[in-house]
Amino acid sequence: MDKPEFYQRLAEILDVEEVKPEAVLKDFDVWDSLAILSVLAMADAKYGVSIKAEEIRSVVSAQGLANLVEAKQK
Amino acid sequence: MNFTFRGKRISGVLVVVPANERSFVEEMRNFNFPEGRSLKLKEVMGYDKRRIVEPGVCVSDLAVFGLQHLFAQGLLKREEIDALLLVTQTADHFMPATSSLIQGRLGLKQDMLCLDINQACAGFVIGLMQAFMLLEQESVNKVVLVNADVLSRKASPKDRNIYPMIGDGASITIVERDTADSVIQASVKMDGSRASALTIPAGGLRLPSSPETARLEDVGDNNLRAKDHVFMDGSAIFNFVQTEVPPLIENLLKRAGVSSSEVDYFLCHQPNRFMLEKLADKMKVPHARMPNNVVEHFGNSGSVTIPTVMAYNLRERLLREQLQVCLAGFGGGLAWSAMLLKVGKLAFNKIIEYK
Amino acid sequence: MKCTFKNKRISSIITVAPSQEYRFDDEYHYFKMTEAQAKRFKKMMSLDRHRIAPPEVCASDLCLFGVQRLLDAGVLKKEDIDAILFISQTPDYILPPTSNVIHGKLGLDHDVICLDINQGCAGFLAGLQQAFMLLELPAVSKVLLLTGDTGSKQMTRENRLNYPINGDAGAATVVERCSDGKTIFMDVKNDGSRYKALLIPGGGYRMPSSAETLKLREVEEGVVKCLEHIEMDGAAIFNFTMDDIPPQIEEVLAFSGDTRDSIQHFFLHQPNPFIVTQMAQKMKIPPAKVPNNVVSLYGNCSSTTIPLNVTLNAAEPLLAGTRRVCLSGFGVGLTWIAAVMDLGPLDFCKLVDYEGT
Repeated sequence: MDKPEFYQRLAEILDVEEVKPEAVLKDFDVWDSLAILSVLAMADAKYGVSIKAEEIRSVVSAQGLANLVEAKQK
Repeated sequence: MNFTFRGKRISGVLVVVPANERSFVEEMRNFNFPEGRSLKLKEVMGYDKRRIVEPGVCVSDLAVFGLQHLFAQGLLKREEIDALLLVTQTADHFMPATSSLIQGRLGLKQDMLCLDINQACAGFVIGLMQAFMLLEQESVNKVVLVNADVLSRKASPKDRNIYPMIGDGASITIVERDTADSVIQASVKMDGSRASALTIPAGGLRLPSSPETARLEDVGDNNLRAKDHVFMDGSAIFNFVQTEVPPLIENLLKRAGVSSSEVDYFLCHQPNRFMLEKLADKMKVPHARMPNNVVEHFGNSGSVTIPTVMAYNLRERLLREQLQVCLAGFGGGLAWSAMLLKVGKLAFNKIIEYK
Repeated sequence: MKCTFKNKRISSIITVAPSQEYRFDDEYHYFKMTEAQAKRFKKMMSLDRHRIAPPEVCASDLCLFGVQRLLDAGVLKKEDIDAILFISQTPDYILPPTSNVIHGKLGLDHDVICLDINQGCAGFLAGLQQAFMLLELPAVSKVLLLTGDTGSKQMTRENRLNYPINGDAGAATVVERCSDGKTIFMDVKNDGSRYKALLIPGGGYRMPSSAETLKLREVEEGVVKCLEHIEMDGAAIFNFTMDDIPPQIEEVLAFSGDTRDSIQHFFLHQPNPFIVTQMAQKMKIPPAKVPNNVVSLYGNCSSTTIPLNVTLNAAEPLLAGTRRVCLSGFGVGLTWIAAVMDLGPLDFCKLVDYEGT
């Protein structure tokens, strides 16, 4: 998986310039149910994976999210 | 409205009654009536014992318990269930449908139909009709019809018209295709203009529940009732049954070319013994052929009473032989229905207790 | 569970929306959104306006109004109604069934079957299936299928998750027999293990109405609710719509022998425009075939969303001729039902405003 591209897409969703891997998702102003929905949609549309509601709720950092998506791609 | 079905049969009946038993004599102290008068009512109506659920027990609990019993006894396989029909007026939630909850709790397959139908005392006949209709589809081989209610939880303890007679329970009826080309005749009629004879005024969206609707009111006949409670206009219902049910059954039998004496049993909804004795008299049917003892043992559990009559009064006979029976369900809606069919030999026909 | 039906048709559809229209821009302050949040939400969800019924108007009122219009238009006669189906999760009463109440208000004779079916977003499809089954019986020639919900009464205005997307509406659809020899294909699926995705915890028998269940709480920023209000897990719903619906639509297309090309309209339930867009993309269906404007203009009106979609977007072609359509309803339960059938020419196909008192 192209990690920089993933973080860039995540940044767009979170309405920021860039997202560092260690960034904690909950710290972002716009990390709400809407953002979660956008992430689920992105994962499905761009990476072909289905992230479950429980899974995304247990992810802490941007890196955690990237790893989750990558693991599902296998 | 008349219907004919072919090649369908009931293959098993299981009734689930709460273990918790109440007695009229113990409870009559709550009513605003002198004891003597209450005892007279008991004798005439045929009230004695009834089964009601403990607080917090819902329709899905009774249904799941019953179905698990059937799975455990090898009388039904999970994967065989193609449709789950739940006929109830006392659903667990406004959403989702309670049949979906039962399906989820039992881990049934996804490729199936789950359907909640809101019907009252005509609900067993209506439920059977639904099952017969579904069995016309190639993909449907076995339908589980659940009738269940926990209406005791909406009866005012200070309402002598309702409280002593309401029972809770569930029935599970397995319906499948019959290799014999059996003919089943049914008749259904409805009249919404008389709907107010049996209602729960509050709790829907017309009048949502509130502290106001929970308040007990003196409704003028020495009974206390809240808008959240079930209300029954006893004399209106009595007149309704006496007027509408005999002609419905008569026409049904005539259409089927079967005489009253050829019907082994009239298995009617059980509002109370008094109404059924009067109905039998009007139809010139001996009381022995129209069992009327469910209320005194279990209470009136809505659409569950007809299967209860089968399992209680005809327990052995329906296991050993085939009987020609006329079912009749009538009540809330108002709705009245009748069905003439042969039942038996059943694979199972029993009552179990829910603890 | 697959079903097929032959020689049945929908002959008329009327959808009824409350006349009270509210714009998102005027309302977002109720659920404490800042202008920036509102802008983002509005954009992502394509929100604009929705219809909310006044307090005294119930779903059955909207349906009954629709029925009256059909009677007035002469496309339906009272004496021809053999069955009334009322599909709703916001019934007037628990006892008696609301379909019986409607029967009484219409003054119909006794030879009518009345059935209340508890279904949400899959309700139009569930109702069609029931109607088709009833129409197999010689005694039933015409079924009045009523869908209606006033979901606004199961939430507060101060709820940013549910309120802006909700719409109230009712519909009356006439279903009857015909002799076209065509087959209707349906598939039904259920998964009650995921029921928590859409649930009203209190008010039924599991958690009876009490002072506790009616107590309003702000459970998170801009979300005020009580236990008798809708609980929705948006992410779980998203998973469901992306994982389970496309395969069912594939299945029913294979069942009927259709393809994306042979189907002229995909009338999908509309939880919100964002999800519908995602679904259409995933299934590689051209957006032009997937009308997606119901929520933006009227709100998500549960089982009435599909008939409203039809009357809003395809009235002209359906009055003029026949179209091959795929219907897909999915939601609470979880229940998902899809159908492929010919639709039209219809005798009546209109969306109207409720004018009742």
